[in-house]
Amino acid sequence: MSGGPPKALQSTGPHSLRDMPHPLAGSSSEEAVGGDSTPSPDLLMTRSFGDKDLILPNGGTPADTSSPASSSSLLNRLQLDDDIDGETRDLFVTVDDPKKHVCTMETYITYRITTKSTRVEFDLPEYSVRRRYQDFDWLRNKLEESQPTHLIPPLPEKFVVKGVVDRFSEEFVETRRKALDKFLKRITDHPVLSFNEHLSVFLTAKDLNVYKKQGMALLTRVGESVKHVTGGYKLRSRPLEFAAIGEYLDTFALKLGTIDRIAQRIIKEEIEYLVELREYGPVYSTWSALEGELTEPLEGVSACIGNCSTALEELTDDMTEDFLPVLREYILYSDSMKSVLKKRDQVQAEYEAKLEAVALRKEDRPKVPADVEKCQDRMECFNADLKADMERWQNNKRQDFRQLLMGMADKNIQYYEKCLMAWESIIPLLQEKPDAKKKSQCLDEPSR
Amino acid sequence: MRLRRRIKSQRRAAAMEQSPPQDPGRQLQSAPLEPLGHPAAGLEAAVSEDAEDTRKEGPGDGTMTENNFSLKKIEISVSEAEKRTGRNAMNMQETYTAYLIETRSVENIDGQSVLTDSLWRRYSEFELLRNYLLVYYPHIVVPPLPEKRAEFVWHKLSADNMDPDFVERRRIGLENFLLRVSSHPILCRDKIFYLFLTQEGNWKETVNETGFQLKADSRLKALNATFRVKNPDKRFTDLKHYSDELQSIISHLLRVRARVADRLYGVYKVHGNYGRVFSEWSAIEKEMGDGLQSAGHHMDVYASSIDDILEDEEHYADQLKEYLFYTEALRAVCRKHELMQYDLEMAAQDLASKKQQCEELATGTVRTFSLKGMTTKLFGQETPEQREARIKVLEEQISEGEQYLKSKNLEGREFLKNAWADIERFKEQKNHDLKEALISYAVMQISMCKKGIQVWTNAKECFSKM
Repeated sequence: MSGGPPKALQSTGPHSLRDMPHPLAGSSSEEAVGGDSTPSPDLLMTRSFGDKDLILPNGGTPADTSSPASSSSLLNRLQLDDDIDGETRDLFVTVDDPKKHVCTMETYITYRITTKSTRVEFDLPEYSVRRRYQDFDWLRNKLEESQPTHLIPPLPEKFVVKGVVDRFSEEFVETRRKALDKFLKRITDHPVLSFNEHLSVFLTAKDLNVYKKQGMALLTRVGESVKHVTGGYKLRSRPLEFAAIGEYLDTFALKLGTIDRIAQRIIKEEIEYLVELREYGPVYSTWSALEGELTEPLEGVSACIGNCSTALEELTDDMTEDFLPVLREYILYSDSMKSVLKKRDQVQAEYEAKLEAVALRKEDRPKVPADVEKCQDRMECFNADLKADMERWQNNKRQDFRQLLMGMADKNIQYYEKCLMAWESIIPLLQEKPDAKKKSQCLDEPSR
Repeated sequence: MRLRRRIKSQRRAAAMEQSPPQDPGRQLQSAPLEPLGHPAAGLEAAVSEDAEDTRKEGPGDGTMTENNFSLKKIEISVSEAEKRTGRNAMNMQETYTAYLIETRSVENIDGQSVLTDSLWRRYSEFELLRNYLLVYYPHIVVPPLPEKRAEFVWHKLSADNMDPDFVERRRIGLENFLLRVSSHPILCRDKIFYLFLTQEGNWKETVNETGFQLKADSRLKALNATFRVKNPDKRFTDLKHYSDELQSIISHLLRVRARVADRLYGVYKVHGNYGRVFSEWSAIEKEMGDGLQSAGHHMDVYASSIDDILEDEEHYADQLKEYLFYTEALRAVCRKHELMQYDLEMAAQDLASKKQQCEELATGTVRTFSLKGMTTKLFGQETPEQREARIKVLEEQISEGEQYLKSKNLEGREFLKNAWADIERFKEQKNHDLKEALISYAVMQISMCKKGIQVWTNAKECFSKM
């Protein structure tokens, strides 16, 4: 594959999954992908536990790179990757160009995903594929399964509930595209998630369905083990910081819900106001037809109100398309975060239960059995990942809301500026003296 | 308070010029229509003054040339409103509002104003005054009163007559009415109007003594004339159509405006909810807290700003309402013309028929049907003496009829001339006033937009600090 002429797409071809190079494989692009550097099974698991001295994946280590995901190194990476100017960023993804596909069975929209990367894991510097919402949904599920200790960003809502919104309308598609773009960008910004293999496949595979069908989930050890955590254990005491996060998320979601309702109410009131304005303006027009000297002033007022109506319509459209969806996303986000917190609780509970069970059987070896140790590691990993992600999330949330609310203020300012301009421009018209040109046109006949 | 000052400054420019109030004798002399006078005589008197005075309204020292009165400006204001209880005609307790009318005379030289009269009147007395003016000045577009009951209200505005806001707006409307009358070149000279301003007790009796109710044209008669008149002056027909259309349009406009105000109120008020929720949210945030909190405050400011905005807009609605009610006054003038024209046509028709009869009797031919003719046919010819007698009677009637027709014609033409002059005056006033109203409406909108920009800019700045 790499020997042939450069292709935009990496084809999955007939090779088995195992033959594919691991994205984290340290091999350079010259090395053939096919059979020679079949990664060892170990590399397909993100890491081995208990191994604390891990190496940064970009740090130029030999071929058997292990996973980047673990506590201390993760924190180090966070500091590096939080560099906003993107100096250290090496993966750029964009979602654009929605297109409608009409097939016998169904009609759907695909979006173009463009990936640019200097990462060695990618064969080519640039990829361009087409994906539909289903594919994004698949990706998200896979990420949740394979990275259960991390916060996975939300997708825009799958089904359209409100009113009779056309799935194929320009506004709906554009809103969805922006949300999908945001989704991918959040993932690619994430120090762990961006290296997930499912993501790479998603970004590069020509035919994702083939890959999906192969059905083998590349679960991480953590993923595998967390999946099998039994939920039967009761949590003794939640560490303060996680309790605090839980409470925070509860209140946060509540407040966002209220804001969402208020915003919807405002839009509704504005639309009703718009309806009345659209009746109001034309009455001045009708009146102007009846008058002589007042014709132009009245017509001017009518036009002015018309302009304000248009400006208002633009405002309500913007708020509906740009403001509300982002609010909803964050509500979904906090919901999924709460489930992650719950899982963490379960992991901790299991560990505590096992530990207690061991403590009760005092006659056993003084050393803590292996499986309890595994539980402890699992818990500590989870805690570390979650903490790091929460910090990251808080930061992003602050920026996102700052931008969102400033945007809302901006739209309102623009609305008022448009109206102001309209009204200011008719003042001279209203003040115009009729003497010069109007007397001859005046329908009133002077009878003096 | 604010509204009142605004009207005052508007009207100050149109302060009335009147002969000194201490001189009722002269006042009486110059009045175009004495309470007991013949309407026709009054009109004739009005004609000579009109030529000079129709243009003389508004500021400046236009001369009221009659008998070299000294020029003094008079300011009228309805300065207060008070709730009163009293007994009505059926001796039942009732609550009503009384309005204080103050008249000030402004000395030309030093501009000081001296309170010359002050008395209390209630709405029904204003109505009485207006009805009187309508009867005695049928050729004048008589200024309307503010509405009796609140109409075209948007939901936050009270429809209750005793509501303080309504009373306040009515006070302004009544003041406006008085200023309109006092700045009208003809109406300002009326004695009853003068007494309205100066004689508190007994005024009602004085008005009723004029017997104006009896002189009023019967509605039925007027309606009949409207349907049957054959040749009304086209200008008046057009004017009537214009009035009808204008009334319809302004009504529609006021209704929609009220709905617009309602909706706008809703939009602003809902934003107030942001204030509360931002405040609650800020409590759980560390860095974002301050920005959210202060932005919430601006949202509260935004929400509460709508009350003043809409109060100002009511003033615009009141200006439109005045002209809505003016359409009725215009129609009244048209009706009067139709009535006079109809009377004229009837008189002419009657005269023509009598002349016809006379001619037939004289020549012996019978062209028109008459009962006499029929009976003559049936029962035999009448004697030449009888016929002569009848001809003589007819000739007398014809002579009277011709006189009558002539005077009616003259009356009609005078009416047309004077009425059209006042209508022209009214049109100019209307165009001027409505333009002013539109300008002030635009200014209000501009102010509202600027406030909106200010608030959202402040909020944006708070958000930027999040």
